[in-house]
Amino acid sequence: MTARSALGMVGSPARAVRRAWRRIPRAGRACFVIAFVNVAIWSVIVPPFQVPDEISHFSYAQYFAETGSPPPNNPNDSQYSLQEYSALDGLNFFNVIGTTFDRGVFTVPENQQLRAELAGSNPLKNAGAATPATNQPPLYYMLEAVPYWLSPSNDIFARLALMRLLSALMAAATVLAIFLFLRELVPRTPWTWTVGALMVAFQPMFAFIGAGVQADNLLYLGSALTFLALARAWRRGLTTRRALAVGGALGIGMMAKLTFLALVPGAVFMLALLAWQRRGEGRGRAFAMLAAGVGVAALPILLYALANVTVWDRPSALNGALTTATSAAGTGSSAVTWHEIFDYTWELYLPKLSFLNHAFFTGYGYPLWSVWLRGAVGRFGWLDYGFPAWVYTDFQRLVYVLAALSVLGLWRVRRALRQGVVVILGFGAMMLGLLVVIGYEGARATATTNYLFPQARYLFPLLALYALAIVLITKALPRRWAPVLGALLVALALAHNLFAQTVTISRYYG
Amino acid sequence: MRVRIALGLALLATLIGFLIDMSGSAPRLAGGDRIHWPAPDPAVAVAPPGSRMCVEGTILPGDAASMLIAIHGANRLPRITTTFTDTAGALLARGVLPAGAVESSAVTIALHRPAHAPSAVGSLCLRGGGRATLVYDGVTGIGTTTVNGVDQPGSPAIIYYRRGSETWWSLLGALDLRFGLGKATIFGDWTLPVIALAALALFAGVVRLLLAELG
Repeated sequence: MTARSALGMVGSPARAVRRAWRRIPRAGRACFVIAFVNVAIWSVIVPPFQVPDEISHFSYAQYFAETGSPPPNNPNDSQYSLQEYSALDGLNFFNVIGTTFDRGVFTVPENQQLRAELAGSNPLKNAGAATPATNQPPLYYMLEAVPYWLSPSNDIFARLALMRLLSALMAAATVLAIFLFLRELVPRTPWTWTVGALMVAFQPMFAFIGAGVQADNLLYLGSALTFLALARAWRRGLTTRRALAVGGALGIGMMAKLTFLALVPGAVFMLALLAWQRRGEGRGRAFAMLAAGVGVAALPILLYALANVTVWDRPSALNGALTTATSAAGTGSSAVTWHEIFDYTWELYLPKLSFLNHAFFTGYGYPLWSVWLRGAVGRFGWLDYGFPAWVYTDFQRLVYVLAALSVLGLWRVRRALRQGVVVILGFGAMMLGLLVVIGYEGARATATTNYLFPQARYLFPLLALYALAIVLITKALPRRWAPVLGALLVALALAHNLFAQTVTISRYYG
Repeated sequence: MRVRIALGLALLATLIGFLIDMSGSAPRLAGGDRIHWPAPDPAVAVAPPGSRMCVEGTILPGDAASMLIAIHGANRLPRITTTFTDTAGALLARGVLPAGAVESSAVTIALHRPAHAPSAVGSLCLRGGGRATLVYDGVTGIGTTTVNGVDQPGSPAIIYYRRGSETWWSLLGALDLRFGLGKATIFGDWTLPVIALAALALFAGVVRLLLAELG
């Protein structure tokens, strides 16, 4: 092989990426850059490890980077490396989370003490025990191992900062995927693609999670890519290549986080519907396309299972992940029944009906507002700070207005809806799958914990549908006024994001 | 034109909101002794009448003008003197709680120290007059706290406040310093101004994009 051909092989993927980048509309590229800069700003504002579960996700990635394998869940080890423990201690982490007054490093002597604690602390020693993240598939952590090692410094905070930038890239890619998703579904009004994508980019909880080392970021990206691949296959017709794209997106999502499994039945259902639409080209070909998509989706899972029991020497093919998620919750009289799971799931989204025997959210208010809306408006940190109460009340009023506008928007696009039955059924099934799984896990959590399990971010795999809902809202107004509403909504999101950042600065530095 | 006007008005409203937010005045934290506040454990240190309770190896923030600490033991507390000495024994700050203050989980003691003094590591000591045994709340099994040289079960929780009431504008210098601490060494005093400029550029970029696509 000549040097020139070798260089050509390296250069061709880069050229392909460049070509693909250039094919994206300018506005889409701008949305990507804007989302990246915004999340990167967040990643500097939020102190190390203050994104929910960041300590566990960092620990997994660090273990993978240092050893080349996922944590073995060895009960004799500790959850985090000595280096991470030193950092957490020096940052006053365990006092800061969940409180109002405690702060991290505020003075130069504290910073010097932190540096002294970190000096000589081993990045691997003692780590390897189970954390909330260790049963998750490894793709996100494998990717985060790259910036970990690329870091020019062994300093844990330098590595964390670079790893956070990779998460920011994933968040930006999610926004771009949503832009392209809207391009498929509303091709005649290009300005709505920008509005929908920017609304996601400036959703402060999305940006806040994007700022941290958190596997949710790859989950959101995998979900957005799945919605994009399915929308593309629906609009342009399913081909083997597009079926492979759907399978690839599903594979990324499943290897990112187990939560993604909730979307898989709906996505496969939609893929099957799309294949059914192509039966005129021969049933064998239609089935082959479906099989190609499902096969590509299953491939990384099979490889992961194989690696678990061979290379990584873990106890079972899926490391007990599904067993943990599906085994009986609670024992004896405290065991969670299917009846309770149904009641819990219903009450989590809808008003409690008189014939539902169990009341799960007494004292929390109606979860639609208290969990989902408040959480989406902003419950930051380790759920320990947010906006003043009036902000949530005002947003609730705004939701009433936007809901009314969306009904009007639905009415105005009713003809287009008739053509999109497959999309409505498919995306509806994916949404339902996620809502049910959140309810299922939340009900099971009641057997073991006292805290409220559901968080608004669990719905973020549906961000593509949120963007679509925003587009629908703008469609409520006549054509001349719709862009004005779109601009106002983005301006509101921009302000929301800005004030979320100032609240964060006052929480940790003020 | 409609989009331009709507965006202009929305951004003006955001700017006004931001200015109002930044101009809000309130007492601002200077730091704490890294013991959980409010104190979860009662009686982590017990000081008999006239004895001296000292927290060793603690940090006094440079901008601390008062401290809050949980003290019980008498409905009306005796006069309590507070001193902070650095590791070399030099007196850096002192304060006096006049007799008659109500026992509470957040007793405020004003501190007197030179303006713009740097933060320092040292010993914080409180000595109560009168005949009351003073009981301090905090966290057990943490830190080094003594009463007349005898180790105590835990350390009291303390938080420090800056002088008076301040707007965020007047706190910008402190925010700038704090923003660069507890992070990768590449971050420093430059970080907050650069973040502010980046946020401004982001606003400009979004406006430009919206005008190009919607206008």
